[in-house]
Amino acid sequence: MLGFIKKDLLMIKSNFKILGFLIVFYIVMGFMGQMDISFILPFMCVMIMISTFSYDTFNNWDAYAVALPNGRLNNVKAKYLATILLIVVTAFLMLILSVIMAYSQNTVINWENIIFTLLGSVFGTILSLSFMFPIIYKMGIEKARICIFAGVFGIIILAGLLFKYVNLAGVGAMLAKLENYWPMIILAACVLIPYISYRISLKIYLKKEF
Amino acid sequence: MDIIIRNSSTVPIYEQIKDQIKNKIITEELKTGELLPSIRSLAKDLNCSVITTKNAYEELVKEGYVETIPAKGFYVAKINKEIALEEQLSKIENLLDTAINIAKLNNIDKQVILNILDILYEEDK
Amino acid sequence: MENILEVSNLSKKYQDFTLENVTFSLPKGMIMGFIGENGAGKTTTIKAILNVINKYEGEIKIFGLDNKKNAEKINTEIGVVLDEMFFPEILTPQDIDKIMAGIYKNWDTDLYQKYLKDFGLIASNQIKTFSKGMRKKLEIATALSHHPKLLILDEPTSGLDPVARAEIMNIFQNFIQNEDCSILISTHITSELEQIADYVTFINQGKIVFSESCLDIFDNYGLVKCTEEEFKQIKKEDYVRYQKNKYNYELLVANKKSFQKKYSISTIDKITLDKLMVLMIKGDK
Repeated sequence: MLGFIKKDLLMIKSNFKILGFLIVFYIVMGFMGQMDISFILPFMCVMIMISTFSYDTFNNWDAYAVALPNGRLNNVKAKYLATILLIVVTAFLMLILSVIMAYSQNTVINWENIIFTLLGSVFGTILSLSFMFPIIYKMGIEKARICIFAGVFGIIILAGLLFKYVNLAGVGAMLAKLENYWPMIILAACVLIPYISYRISLKIYLKKEF
Repeated sequence: MDIIIRNSSTVPIYEQIKDQIKNKIITEELKTGELLPSIRSLAKDLNCSVITTKNAYEELVKEGYVETIPAKGFYVAKINKEIALEEQLSKIENLLDTAINIAKLNNIDKQVILNILDILYEEDK
Repeated sequence: MENILEVSNLSKKYQDFTLENVTFSLPKGMIMGFIGENGAGKTTTIKAILNVINKYEGEIKIFGLDNKKNAEKINTEIGVVLDEMFFPEILTPQDIDKIMAGIYKNWDTDLYQKYLKDFGLIASNQIKTFSKGMRKKLEIATALSHHPKLLILDEPTSGLDPVARAEIMNIFQNFIQNEDCSILISTHITSELEQIADYVTFINQGKIVFSESCLDIFDNYGLVKCTEEEFKQIKKEDYVRYQKNKYNYELLVANKKSFQKKYSISTIDKITLDKLMVLMIKGDK
C-alpha cells in the first residue's frame, strides 16, 4: 500500500514548482495584508487532492491499480492516508506562517486564536474532502465535479431557507450549552467523519468496474 | 549448427527443423550422445514457437534419432546407420519415380534423364 | 499438460455488447495469442481475468485457484500491461521503481534497473520525454520485474514500429525460457505473433471462434484459390468460409489434406492468421 501513497506524493512533488510558486505568491499577498492565507492553504490542499483524481482518470490508473495485489483496498486506503498526510503538512505550514506573520507584524502571538483558526480550517478541509471523495469514487471525477457544485449550491440554499423560515433561537441556545465542548466535538468529528467517508468509498470502489 | 527456416515454404516449420537435425545426425555433424539445445532456447534462437521445436524433437524421438533424458534434455541417439540410410534411399526412390513418370508420359529417353542426373549431381559438388 | 489459466463459460452483458460463454485454457510454459477485431471482446475478457470487472457469469481459474477468492495471491504472480493505461507523464522510471517496490512484496529493483538499461530507458527522465515505443517498453519492464509466472498483456505492440515490435517479441521469448512462465497476449497485429505463439484463441463478436495450438491451425487450415467453375464443384461442407473476388474465389478449408485428396485443385496455400481472421469475419458460409 505504501506504493500507492508514494504515487500520489510523487505526483504532487512533481508539480511542486507550480505549487511552490503559488504558496510563495499567497504568502507575499498575506504579508501585504491583501489576503488571508489561513483560507488559501486548506483550499489548495483540497484542489491538490482533487487534481490527483483527475490525473488518475486521465491515465486510466484505476484499471491498472485494481489489477495489482490488493489493489482495490489499497488504492482507496492510500488516497485517504495521502490526504491526511497532506492536511497535516498543510496545518504545520499554516502554524509556522501564522507565527512568522505575528513576529513580522510585531504583534503578540495569540495562541488560542491561531489554534482555533487552524482547527477550523483543518476541520473544513476534512469535511469537504470527506464529502467529495465518495462522490468522486461513485461518479468519476468528471461527473462528480458537477455533482459537487450542485451539492454545495444546494446546501447553501437549504441553509438560507432554514435561517429564513425556521426559528433558530432554540437551536442557538442548545449550541451555546455545548460551547465548552466544541474543540472536543470538532476533534472527534475530524476522526469520525473521514472514517465513515472511507468506509463508504471503499464499499463503492470494491464493487466498481473499470 | 545451422538450421534454416523458410517461412515461405509449404513444409511446416517443425518438419523443416526435424529434417535438418536428422540430416546432421546421419552425416554425423551431430555425434552420438551429443546434447541438443533445449526446446526453449532453440525456439528463441530460431524465433519460432516452443510448441514447434517441441513437436520437432518429439518426432525425432519417435523416429529414434534422439533420446530424451527427463530433466536433463535431448541427446543424439545411437542410430542404426543402415536403417537411416535406407530411409533416405527410399525418399530418393520416390522422387525419382515421379521424375520417371513424367519422362514416360512425354516419351523422354532414359539416357536423357541419366545425363541430367549426371550434370545435376556434379553441379551440386 | 497443466493449465496456468482456465476461463470457462465467461459471460457478461453490456448494453451494446455481449460476451458469451468464453472458454479457453492456457497451458503452462506457453504463449497464447488472443486475437480478434477491435471491439471483439478481448479487453473485456482480460479485464474479467484480472478482476478489473467483477460482475460476470462463469469461472476463471489462475494457477488452479479461483480468481475472485484468491485475488491477492494471484495478482502478486501476474505481470500486467493494459491497453490505454499510462504511467503519469510527470513521473520518471525511478519513481515507478519506488512506487512498485511499495506495491509488490517480490519487487526486484536490480532486475528492473537491468531491464531499463537493456531497453535503453533513462531512469531519471520524465516519461513525457519518451516515445510511444519507450513507454510500452517501460510498462513491460514494470510488468516483468516482480518475477511473475503469468504475463497478461493487452495490445502490448499496437502503435509500435516493426523494430520495436520485434524487440518486444524477443523479450517475451526470453521470459518463457523458464518453463513455469506463460504469456497471454491480446493483439490485432498477428504477423509477429504467428511466429512465437504456441496457441491462438480467436474471438469474434463476443464469442470464441476457436482456441487451438498453432501447429494444428497451420497443419489443418489452408487457403484455396480457384475459378468459379471449380468453386461450383466444391461441396459446402468442405470449406469453412469463402470470398468471391473479381477474378477468383478464395476458400478457407479446415482440413487441407482431405480436401486435396477429394478435389483436383493443385495448390493449397499456407494460411496466415491475418487471412484466417479476415475470411472468418468477412467471408460467406
